[in-house]
Amino acid sequence: MPSLAIDQVKVGYSNLIILDDLSVEIPEQKITTIVGANGCGKSTLLKAIARILKTQKGAVYLDGKAIQLLPTKEVAKKMAILPQSSQVPTGLTVYELISYGRFPYQTGMGTLKVDDLKHIDWAIEATGLNPLKDRPVEALSGGQRQRVWIAMALAQDTEILILDEPTTYLDLAHQLDILLLLQKLNKEQKRTIIMVLHDLNHASRVSHNLVAMRDGAIIEEGTPEQVMTQSNLKAIFDIEATMSTCPFSNNPIYLSYTLSQSTKHMVQNKKSG
Amino acid sequence: MIDKQFISSYQQNKKKRKVYTILIIILLIFISFMISMNTGYIRLSPLQLLETLIGMGTEQQNLILFEFRLPRIVISVLVGMGLALAGCVLQGVSGNPLADPGILGINSGAGLAVVLFISFFPSTSDVPVMFLPVLAFIGAGVTAIIIYALSYKRGEGISPTRLMLTGVAIAAGISAAMIILTLRLTPDNYQFVAVWLAGSIWGSNWMFVLSLLPWLLILIPYIFIKARVLNTLNLGEVTATGLGVNIEKERLFLLAAAVALAGSSVSVSGGIGFIGLIAPHLARQLVGGKHQFVIPAAAALGALLLLVADTIGRWFIQPSEIPAGIVVAVIGAPYFLYLLAKSKA
Repeated sequence: MPSLAIDQVKVGYSNLIILDDLSVEIPEQKITTIVGANGCGKSTLLKAIARILKTQKGAVYLDGKAIQLLPTKEVAKKMAILPQSSQVPTGLTVYELISYGRFPYQTGMGTLKVDDLKHIDWAIEATGLNPLKDRPVEALSGGQRQRVWIAMALAQDTEILILDEPTTYLDLAHQLDILLLLQKLNKEQKRTIIMVLHDLNHASRVSHNLVAMRDGAIIEEGTPEQVMTQSNLKAIFDIEATMSTCPFSNNPIYLSYTLSQSTKHMVQNKKSG
Repeated sequence: MIDKQFISSYQQNKKKRKVYTILIIILLIFISFMISMNTGYIRLSPLQLLETLIGMGTEQQNLILFEFRLPRIVISVLVGMGLALAGCVLQGVSGNPLADPGILGINSGAGLAVVLFISFFPSTSDVPVMFLPVLAFIGAGVTAIIIYALSYKRGEGISPTRLMLTGVAIAAGISAAMIILTLRLTPDNYQFVAVWLAGSIWGSNWMFVLSLLPWLLILIPYIFIKARVLNTLNLGEVTATGLGVNIEKERLFLLAAAVALAGSSVSVSGGIGFIGLIAPHLARQLVGGKHQFVIPAAAALGALLLLVADTIGRWFIQPSEIPAGIVVAVIGAPYFLYLLAKSKA
């Protein structure tokens, strides 16, 4: 059994059900990326996996145990979460914020022990933040901040990393910079990474496993070669895409696209109606 | 290697500087304490003060110092600490740096209880005044529970925004009810209520010190232990959950602690606002955002601010006095506006 399995979950907000009877398994030590159109439920799925949203039916299993029944602190030792946007508290240095990642291991007043310091230093090293570690977090750029959040998640020392659109609000270079960092962590540290990405080409380039969603259901799941096909993109996004191959990863990418016929009608109908 | 040592000593120095900052605030409290002992209608020279403190004063000096001034000073310090910590916790739990115990309806709830009491038992002289802090505390607690219940949503729990908005609405409603009630009071009673609401630290005797002390002795260590949780709550709900914080539970307990601290403080001091807002904010400016430092710094600053405010209030228009709450508001209102002007949002 994989360390993370989603079994027939029903998830939603009060009366609005987003996911119903959805099952998926997350392969261990691989990068899995969830893709899909706006409002397809991919963030909801990610939040359910991360126990932020409670499942109304079914369950998410972590190492074979239902995640809602595990003590939240124990889960935090196995799984770290990076939300789409985080509040940056005032008056914290990079080092201090990263040290918060040690929360699940601390007791009492929270003095940092040798083991804590070791993990914090390693996280700073791995994300290349050494020159910035005494700076206030507020003073950093978007790309640097995202590195700090990733470092905090690394300090948490978990097998699984969950990231909700980690490249949003970043420019092209910084987007790739973050993705390559995640790729490196997966290769060298064997960490399981689950994320939501909007950019399909990025998703195809760094992921081992893609999960494509539409209207709260999984349309296709598998390697980038299996998922990134012309017919799948039409089924997922209603677009006609021209496909090509990424010269860096040899994974499929789209070159450009138009709206497919049915979508055009939809857009026009909406305008006239 | 040298570089690493340098950086770790940098971290050490920063920590030391924060500890020194807190020690300086405590020193300032001591200085204010000495000045405050000497402030009032009857002046005592520093020498007389010292003599009285070590038990060599005259009967009159003993009376002034030990029965009037000292309890009042101690109350100011304790109330200042209580309100500052309540504010600190509320700002941490809500993630809103402009939160103040007032928003949980603590001041208005306590005020309403006092006004109701005086409306039903108009001759305050006959009824033991000792009931007032108990009633004020109950008023504060009941209001906080009502606000909590109204902003609770099944399946979602408490959202800080909803809590704030409900608090503002309830406080406005209670203020209206209070005005209606006070209009029917006799001039004497009205004056008592007005002075109470202005935050006059009216309960200045040792009995009130004793009624306040247990709360602080229990809740201050509790809040210290929760420093790490407050740190994570500041990062937003999702991140805090990800770090293994049971948000619902921690929020409930921390809010209850804030209500108990602020409620017990206000019950002996009267309606003092702004300390809970200013002290934690100043503390963050001085020692950064980590609650391990913010909590002691805010507590010390709250004590200092209220002690200074009360001393100014007693000295300014002698032999009469201005309620400490008003002095705090005179300093606090411009500071609040400054904060709003400075905040980016």
